[in-house]
Formats: sequence, C-alpha cells, structure tokens
Amino acid sequence: MSQQRSSYAVGTGLFIVFGFAALAYLATQTTSIANVHQGASYTVDAHFANIGQLKDRAPVKIAGVRVGQVQSISLEPGQEVADVKLSIDKRYDRIPLDSVATIFTSGLLGDQYIGIEYGSSKKTVTDGGTLALTKPAQQLEDMLGKFFGAGGVADNLGGTYTVWARFTNVGSLSVGAPVKMAGVAIGSVQSIQADPVKLDAKVTLAIDKRYNQIPDDSSAAVFTSGLIGTQFVAIQPGGSPDALKNGDEMILTQSAMQLEDLIGKFLVNGSSSDSKAAGNGKSSDTTPGKH
Amino acid sequence: MNQRISQDKNVVIQSLTQIGNCGLFLLTLLVAVPRSLRYIRETIRQLWFVGAMSLTIIMVCGLFVGMVLMLQLYHVLSIFGGTSASGMVVALSVYRELGPVVTALLFAGRAGTSITAEIGLMRATDQIDAMELMAVDPIAYVATPRFLAGLIAMPLLTCVFCAMAILGGHLVGVTWLGIDNGTFWSNMTAQVDLHTDIVNGVLLKSLAFGAVVSLIAVFQGFATPPTSEGVARATTRTVVASSIAILALDFVLTAFLM
Repeated sequence: MSQQRSSYAVGTGLFIVFGFAALAYLATQTTSIANVHQGASYTVDAHFANIGQLKDRAPVKIAGVRVGQVQSISLEPGQEVADVKLSIDKRYDRIPLDSVATIFTSGLLGDQYIGIEYGSSKKTVTDGGTLALTKPAQQLEDMLGKFFGAGGVADNLGGTYTVWARFTNVGSLSVGAPVKMAGVAIGSVQSIQADPVKLDAKVTLAIDKRYNQIPDDSSAAVFTSGLIGTQFVAIQPGGSPDALKNGDEMILTQSAMQLEDLIGKFLVNGSSSDSKAAGNGKSSDTTPGKH
Repeated sequence: MNQRISQDKNVVIQSLTQIGNCGLFLLTLLVAVPRSLRYIRETIRQLWFVGAMSLTIIMVCGLFVGMVLMLQLYHVLSIFGGTSASGMVVALSVYRELGPVVTALLFAGRAGTSITAEIGLMRATDQIDAMELMAVDPIAYVATPRFLAGLIAMPLLTCVFCAMAILGGHLVGVTWLGIDNGTFWSNMTAQVDLHTDIVNGVLLKSLAFGAVVSLIAVFQGFATPPTSEGVARATTRTVVASSIAILALDFVLTAFLM
C-alpha cells in the first residue's frame, strides 16, 4: 500500500515540476522579462510637446539599442507639455546633457519609443536630471497634413449650423466623420445622400456655431487621416468677405483622393485620367499590352 | 399556459437554490481545509489523478490549438503583409483567452466528470454514510482534497497547454510556413508582458477556473440523488454548469483584468 502511495507521490511531484517548468518557459522565453525586471537604474525627466501614442514601459533606446524604459507619463495641470520620466540602466550613465530625446515610431504602424541622440556636451545627465532638448512625436497625420493641408485633433462641439456640399466621390466617408479646418475639428458630417438627378453625393456638414466666420467661397475636400485612417472633410478657407450661413451650399469641393489614384499618379508621371494606372504603372512606359 | 409559467418559475427557483447551495458548500469546503491537512496523501493522490493523468490530453490539445491558430492567422495576416506578427498574436491569444478557457473546458470534461461520478457513486453505494459512521469526515476526506487538487492542477495544466500551443505555432509557422525563426520569437517577446499576459492571463484566470470547475464537480457529486440515473444526470450537469461558468467568468475576468 505504501509502495502504491509513494508512486503517486513521485508522479504528482513530477507533474508539479513539469507544470512549473512550463511556466518558467513561458515567462522567460516568450515575454519581455526586461520589461519588468530591471537592474539598477536612474531616472531622467524629459518634456515633450506631444507624446503621440507613447505608453508606460515603452523602450528607451540609444543607437537603436534598448537602455531603459518609460517610467511614467504625466501632464501637470496648467502646463502644456507632457512630463515623461525615463528610467535608464545605470551602465549608461554618460549621456551628454545636451542629448536630444525624440519620440520615434518603430515602422510605419508600430509602437512608439524614445530614442536618445547623443549631444557633444562634456556634462552628463544625472539621476533626477532633465533632458532639455526633445522632439515631440511625429504624428503621421501631421506629416501627411503637411502634404495635404489637414490633420489634427477632435474638439467638443456645442450648437451647430449646417451647410452642404456636392462631391463626385466621397470615398469611404461616413456619417459622423469630423469636419476640420486648419486641422482642428469644427464639426461633423451629418448626412450623406446620393443625388438621384445630378448623380453625385450630397453631404451635409454640421459645423460648430463658434466658427461662423467661414468665408462662403471656402472649399471642402475629403481627406484621409493617416495612410489607412478614416476619412474626414477638410475646409480650406477662401477670401470672400461674406460668411457661410445655415443651409448654404459650398460650391468648391474636392472629392476623395483614392490611394490607388495617388500611387497611380506617381507611377505614370501624372497622367491622372488613367484610372487603372496603379495596376499598369510599371508596364505603361514600355509596350502596353505586351505583358 | 399558467402551468407553463409556474414551471418556468420552478426552474428559476431551482437554479437559484442550486447556486445558493453551491455557495454554502464552498464555505463548508474552505472551513474543512485545515481538517483535511491530515489527509494530505489523499490530496496528492487526487492531484495525480486530475493533474498528471490529464497531461496527455492537455498537451495534445494545446499542440493542435497552437497549430490551427497559426495556420488561420498566417492566412489572415498575409493579406496585410503582417505574417511576422503571427507568432505574437498566437502567444497573446493563447495566454489571454484560449489557454485558460480551453484547458478549463477540457479539465471539466476529463477530471470534473470523473470526480462527480466517483462521489455520486460513493453516495449511491452508501460509502459516504459509512465514513460518517466511522467518524471520518467525508467533506475533509473526500470533498476538500479533490477541490484542492483541482485548484492546484489547473494553473499547472494551463501553463503546459500554453507552452505546447506556442510550440505548435512554432512548428506550423516556422517549420512549415517559413516565418523567420528570429522574427517569430523577437516579435513575441516584444509584445508579451509578464504581468498582464502570464500572471493575469494565464495564472489568475486558470486559478479561478480551477476553483469553479472543481467546486461544481464536487458539489454535483454530493448533491447526486443516490440512483444510477442520478449519477448520470449529475455528471452531465457538471459539464454543462462548468462550461457556462467558465465562459461567463472568463468575460468578467477579462473585463476586470485587462
């Protein structure tokens, strides 16, 4: 009987050891242990005008090599810069005081991290010190906004008035999409209807009452936020002295730019009429149809 | 119609009674824990039975879950050119949801049913009453060791399941579909977090599931009507109640832990 019992005990012990071995395997081989476990480290402050999507425990890298992590992100009331505390490995204690901390994105759509580019100062940052030179996160929207003149953040909306505009193509614009001017959301798309007579899209825009000085020759364009983001209506102010009123029509419009069209324009050097350009781009400057 | 309503009412009242009895039973079990320390060998024997003997099915199922998950993800992610992330997605989905849930469902089927059937038959053949006559506390000798064994076994089994799922994903992804080995691991280690994924996902969830499944199994065993039909019904109820409890609890835990 005791023989029987001890064999159970041995088997059970083996099972428990095996289970813990599996746990150890999961914990050490498949997780970023470095994210939790840290050796001796020191803390450095950095102030950013915009942290983008930076999160706690995001990596801090020098020359692309991880040297620490983001300890905390806070916004002091009354300040307009985010206070980011970086916890950096003690081994890397010779970071020049004039080094630049920049928020980078790994890849096009990846996570964000802080990269430190060395300066030339003889002085080094110490525990509790501050990296004075920073570059905020480059928002993809901002970057594209520089190209297309759009991008920004949403805003709270109060009372609204409506104007409408005709587009030959609204792309994938949906009801509720933001209406932006100078990149700032000033309203939203109230309805999108196809006009049965003129065969185009009639889009009604609800614009915040505060923005009642929009010139009536302003143009409305359908833009995409980011590379694969949602679409929104951007209003580019005109020069007329008269302002848009409730129920007015915006005459000047620019329809949604399809990414395919854009790429097609690059590939075939601007022959915009060729709607199949994206597919035929490579072969179009040699012999068409030979493929 | 009236009869129908009163029947429905009966069902509701019955289920509420069951839940209430189950909660009281949990209290009795917990109170009996110090007393059952005398029967530590019984706990070890049960751990061998519900844990070690379940290893085969857990390992095989884990392997296949990982393999099929990788296969599906590879095809979906290849649409976006993101196949290099598939190892990471396999790891995250296994750690956070599939590992604990599937292991608990298998555990309910493999160990929960046999616990219910065994205790039910003990009742049907008056062994429980005999124990009481011999001044052996059936709760401390029969119920608590099985409950504790389930509680200990579930997290360990879940870890084994997850490890096998990762290996299965590696097997299909790297060996068969040709994802780069280094990318597979580095993407995984970059995204999997020890605290949120392993501790909260794997360990806490599986501990909760282990408690619920073994509680239901032991409770149903003790609540069995002492007939052969009663044992059969109780075994079925164990599986049904455990499955519902696992999936509902999973939602609640995810909502709170994530």
